Amino acid sequence: MTGVRYFDVRHVTGTVTHIDIDNTRVESAGTSFVDRAILRVLGPRGWGILAIDHYTRPGGRSFQELLEKAGRLASLTGQEVILADVPTGSLPVPHMKEDPGSVDIQEKQQLLAEVEKSARIEGIRSTRASYIERLEEVRFEDSSGNESHYTLSRSGYSILAVAGRGSDMQMGYQRKHTLQDFNLRHRQEDGRVAAGRAIALLDARAPRGGTMHAVLDPELAGVFAHEAVGHASEADLVQEGSSVLGGTIGERIGSPAVTIVDDPSLPEFGFEPLDAEGSRVSRTEIIREGVVQAFLHSRETLAAVGHGHAGNARAMPGEPPQVRMSNTYIENGDSSFEEMIRECRSGILLKGTRGGQVDPGRGVFQFNAEYGYHIEDGEVGAMVRDVSLSGEILQTLHSISLCARDRSMHQGYCGKGGQSVPVSDGAPHVLLMNAVVGGSGSD
Amino acid sequence: MAVDLIDRIIKRGEERVDELEVYLFSGSSVTARLKKREIHYASGSEHHGLSLRVIHEGRIGISATSNPERWDACLDAAIASARLATPQDWAGLPGPGDLDPAPLNFDPEVTPDAETTRELLLRLLEGTGAYPVEITSGSAEVSRYTGILANSSGLCYQDQESSVSVGVETIMEQSTGYEFETSWKMDIDPREVGEKAAYLAYSSHGGREIGTGPYDVVLSPVALSQFLGGVYFPALSGKNVHAGRSRLAPSLSQQVMDRTLSLIDEPLHPRGLSSCRWDGEGTPTRRVNFVEKGILHEFAYDLKTAYRYGKESTGSAVRGGHGGSPTIGTHTLTFEGPRGGVLDDEVVHIHDVVGAHTANPLTGDFSVELSNAYFMRDGTVEFPIRKAMLSGNVFDMFRETGGLSPGERVMGSMVLPEIRLKNLAIIGN
Repeated sequence: MTGVRYFDVRHVTGTVTHIDIDNTRVESAGTSFVDRAILRVLGPRGWGILAIDHYTRPGGRSFQELLEKAGRLASLTGQEVILADVPTGSLPVPHMKEDPGSVDIQEKQQLLAEVEKSARIEGIRSTRASYIERLEEVRFEDSSGNESHYTLSRSGYSILAVAGRGSDMQMGYQRKHTLQDFNLRHRQEDGRVAAGRAIALLDARAPRGGTMHAVLDPELAGVFAHEAVGHASEADLVQEGSSVLGGTIGERIGSPAVTIVDDPSLPEFGFEPLDAEGSRVSRTEIIREGVVQAFLHSRETLAAVGHGHAGNARAMPGEPPQVRMSNTYIENGDSSFEEMIRECRSGILLKGTRGGQVDPGRGVFQFNAEYGYHIEDGEVGAMVRDVSLSGEILQTLHSISLCARDRSMHQGYCGKGGQSVPVSDGAPHVLLMNAVVGGSGSD
Repeated sequence: MAVDLIDRIIKRGEERVDELEVYLFSGSSVTARLKKREIHYASGSEHHGLSLRVIHEGRIGISATSNPERWDACLDAAIASARLATPQDWAGLPGPGDLDPAPLNFDPEVTPDAETTRELLLRLLEGTGAYPVEITSGSAEVSRYTGILANSSGLCYQDQESSVSVGVETIMEQSTGYEFETSWKMDIDPREVGEKAAYLAYSSHGGREIGTGPYDVVLSPVALSQFLGGVYFPALSGKNVHAGRSRLAPSLSQQVMDRTLSLIDEPLHPRGLSSCRWDGEGTPTRRVNFVEKGILHEFAYDLKTAYRYGKESTGSAVRGGHGGSPTIGTHTLTFEGPRGGVLDDEVVHIHDVVGAHTANPLTGDFSVELSNAYFMRDGTVEFPIRKAMLSGNVFDMFRETGGLSPGERVMGSMVLPEIRLKNLAIIGN
């Protein structure tokens, strides 16, 4: 075919199983089916893309017709796209510990009900527990003769508890997802933790807004890494001119305590055996000891922007690949949590999160802590609720003065360009000096 | 063809369960995306889907597939799903009604073809030329959608929708702007969208600090829609009200907003993208008066929640649950109230916020970063605000308002004006 420089097809089939238990009632439970493909053709300049539901790989002339159809769309484009030659091939999928697909849904329902029941303690007005399981079978082929096939399972649960006293209400929740495993057994403690936190938050105060020192727990510091650095390091944004990290390779933008990594090869929730355009995946040090080292790439952005390697093209079933994070974390330092609280002296300890958001072109981000505690005279004091922080990418990393050596990873989903992909974020406890904290409290 | 398939599914389903609902849909769209000033990709998609709901002895089961040819496996899965569900009071799916079948938001002029998207992008680019900014990305999408809702009570409604949308991101050094517009007919002006996006980046450049303190604030429809959709509306859902997860549950017939404000769902709104005569499960829609002149008047119900708690459905089912199953939502949420004067005296005008989804959905507490915010006096921008946070509570902030702007814009399933809110906390640097 004339004009087609390259094509690839990524076809995902699978099932989504969910259970939703709301105040002890099974609100909804069952399985739905997914069958979506995306076909990309690189024309003389840019891409022509077809999204196809319930795809069957046609042979011969029919496949040529699909390519021609995508090629006609590509003929509309003016952006010159070059694909870097990169290593291909798949990592082995991590060993399945317990296959959630082999557990009967009634057993899952029973286990989830136990988690929910454990949250129904005195003072709790409402509970809701959810389980979600995605089993995906992915087939990839491209015009260079690369072919891959793998299946991957991701599943997890959340428990929400609402505490009430008079007209006051507060909520606590726990959420855990896993890769290649079934994680619903023996989880009643999570129900109790969610309920206990909801009740404790009834007595927590709203924080006073302003500038103060903040100790972030590993979950929140992971979101900080994701929002403050991760998105701005995505090279599609760098290429478009909408990241403040563009042109900063080799520059110091943070304190020597800060090393930030993205690694899709880690067997965590954001794992990919190969990326969505067939590239081999591996670890990227975005920032090493405060200095910008590399960006996250697809084949196209690697050719256009440089600095790093491909392997971070990711996509939802039936959607075009985008440059995305996978497992993103701040490396351990050599401090300890206790040392950090002492060093902070006066400030705030922040824990848990409902996520965050960044405007990478402006270089401004916001992220939220579910709850926290005042730090007074080097001691952890009274509880506060709903604390958000904002900062500027090129300044805030200088303010990380200490990193502990207790990194842990937390699972979630990240949205960009209308697509949501599984990720994990992590960090040790970190001490952030002079953080801008939002809050409407008066004390 | 589609109707034959639906008949077959209903016939087979009726042999096995008390009731069955079938939602069969297909859509096609063409999207073109800009990277800087050039088209980077053009894509075409054909989507198909089948969403089934069965009710047997008060147990509700659901399943869905993107391959309607596999409807038999989907039916098995829906029946298996019903076996798991806790039974509830159920008084039947709606039968056919005498409703006008003419679509409310379909324009035959809207045809998903690549050339249309290219022309939209060219006009978008032209518009950005009004100010000296760079374009980072942009997109245009044209789509059509057909859905058939049918059930074992003999209901069969067919609906068509069309949609055309454009959006563009701009930057001037570290000052960014984003604007977009969506309509169901070919009446959008991409040139104006481009100009607005360019203005946002240009006018926010050279921002100054603002002092911490209480300010009167004007939220644009962009900012307002996020607080309404993420926090306020969920508290109006009958499901959350009865499940003990709504802060508004105990406030029925009480004042919850300024006495001049009304918050309503107007399903026949002429500009609404989701306007409809029947809801996602076939109940005729009606105007839902959530808040009338400041007083909380009613909550939203679908059939499942209404039957369970002895209420009437408000026609508020939308197909937004698992696999496109029905759930409680809005068709076109709008504000009514006194118009004009929102920019009088001193005010902080906020176009957008960063992190609205981190607001506490239960308590309404939020603190978010401002985006394209300006300190204004008597309708004139005094200076753009470089960086500041806005803190408050979504349930409390509408209690005192300085009115609504005369104009409105379409924001997904809402059509909203600007709103002036009094004494919100701004945290400067």
